[in-house]
Amino acid sequence: MRWGMVINLAKCTRCHACVAACRIEHFLPLGVNWPRLIAYETDIPGQELTTIPVRCNQCKEAPCVEVCPAEATKKRPDGIVYVDNNICVGCRYCVVVCPYQNRTFFSRDKDPGYFPGHERTRFEKAGRKLFPHVSGTTEKCDFCMERIDAGMAKGLVPGKDREATPACVNTCQARALTFGDLDDPNSEVSKLIREKNAFQLHPEYGTEPSVYYIDGKIGGAPSNIAPREEQTASHMQHLSTMEAKAREIFKKNKESK
Amino acid sequence: MSRMATRQWMITHEWMIKPMHQREWIERRGIMIWIAETFTSLGSGLYLVSLFINSWWGLLVGWLIIMFLKLPLHIAYFGKPWRFYRTMPPFSNAWKTSWFARGILFSVFFGTFAFIQLVFGQPDLADLIGRSIADPIYYVFGVLAGLSALGVGIYGGFIMNYVKGIPFWNQGLLPVVIMLAGVADGFGLVMAVGLAGGDASVTWAETGSRYLLMINVLLIVTYLISAGYSSSVAKLSIQELLKGPTALMFWGGTIILGLAVPAVVSVISLFSGEDVSTVLLIIAVASHTLGAFALKYCLLKVGIYRPLLPRFAAY
Repeated sequence: MRWGMVINLAKCTRCHACVAACRIEHFLPLGVNWPRLIAYETDIPGQELTTIPVRCNQCKEAPCVEVCPAEATKKRPDGIVYVDNNICVGCRYCVVVCPYQNRTFFSRDKDPGYFPGHERTRFEKAGRKLFPHVSGTTEKCDFCMERIDAGMAKGLVPGKDREATPACVNTCQARALTFGDLDDPNSEVSKLIREKNAFQLHPEYGTEPSVYYIDGKIGGAPSNIAPREEQTASHMQHLSTMEAKAREIFKKNKESK
Repeated sequence: MSRMATRQWMITHEWMIKPMHQREWIERRGIMIWIAETFTSLGSGLYLVSLFINSWWGLLVGWLIIMFLKLPLHIAYFGKPWRFYRTMPPFSNAWKTSWFARGILFSVFFGTFAFIQLVFGQPDLADLIGRSIADPIYYVFGVLAGLSALGVGIYGGFIMNYVKGIPFWNQGLLPVVIMLAGVADGFGLVMAVGLAGGDASVTWAETGSRYLLMINVLLIVTYLISAGYSSSVAKLSIQELLKGPTALMFWGGTIILGLAVPAVVSVISLFSGEDVSTVLLIIAVASHTLGAFALKYCLLKVGIYRPLLPRFAAY
């Protein structure tokens, strides 16, 4: 089993919802980015300036895993590369060595709070407890491995069941992101890669990224705009999950007082 | 939405779309890496040269540079400095794959072996213990410390060489360039040890420095030419070095101070046929050392990543 993601650039509406969903899911501090949408100029008429969503490629031959002197960056049997922030020494070699530059060093000065000079919001305070970020260490996307693990423990299938699927995939209204098992030839991601000629970023590095991209015309694929109801529902469902978690924390805080 | 309006809210994300500089190891706290890496070259180079000419004072200064300048700076750069022990066995077996971890191990071995060598090489202590016991220990640990110093001097090159995203660094010659530049700096510092009244021969160091300078000029030229052929991003790095924002540091620091001034002093001493004045030698040593700082700065500063997207593969 090897988890992977296919990003259909033809479907992506550049809405930044995946970036926001990740920020909410992991309570990312202001200066830390896991997924990003990067803008670039093209020669295509009417599309002079466009974007591409990027995130950690969860490389099969991850240079960051090989170079980490403390073995803080690890690769799981399911292919997910993650950082153990309780071990990371913050040498930043992984940040430098990542050819895709998808790692962020979380220093104290990257954490001024969302409203510098003001008290942290309830959301930020809850985030500190739900997902504590360790300053002085490196961070990156981990395909929401905690969601995958929790979901699989309930017998759910990542990529099919929302509860076991990365937050960015859940929230994408245009369904531009697809998640699944790359080793399963019948999975949706494997089919997309085969049928749509999906490509990886810089395969010549020999890193074998687990994130694939589909570019160009959609062809016979369904419309790239999801129904409005579905968009709203996906947002509501995601936010309500987080709200429930946050309420638990607020309740505990009140009780402890 | 007009193109202009679109541009206004999207322009801020032009990240990894065009060739982008590495900043972690040269800007802000990254300056510590630059200085630490220079001390790595100076310390290991001096130790190796001193080992060759059996200069106890040279060995001592080399060891002090590594232990009290290089290592503290490297550790201080860490986001979690107190966790540095986690990079070594038994806490981590990363040395099997990581040059960073290997470098830390080399440094620890070097610190230990060189210390033992220095203790048993100290004339008064050696006499006290007895030469028949002290000398074999001195030589055995000298070999071990020398091998470790070689590791310390070369691992930085391999660390940079491993970064596939930066074509200018991803060159087979880089570890050799860094190692030999370190040895040349070692010759410069040995001269300083001799001038300060240590047990190093200034004339011998000057002769060695002369040959090393020639080899280094050849190596740097070869490196730049071959890197330029490897990719257009590497070519961009070279352009930055030769006529871009880093040109002053490259021409003024690496070439003039690091290579030309020591070479001129060396030529003067060769043709004058007599001992060169102390002032000239001090100038040569100082410019050699400044050149070492400039070389490391240039290498780190012009590390440029290839853009992410295949459509920009021309880079």
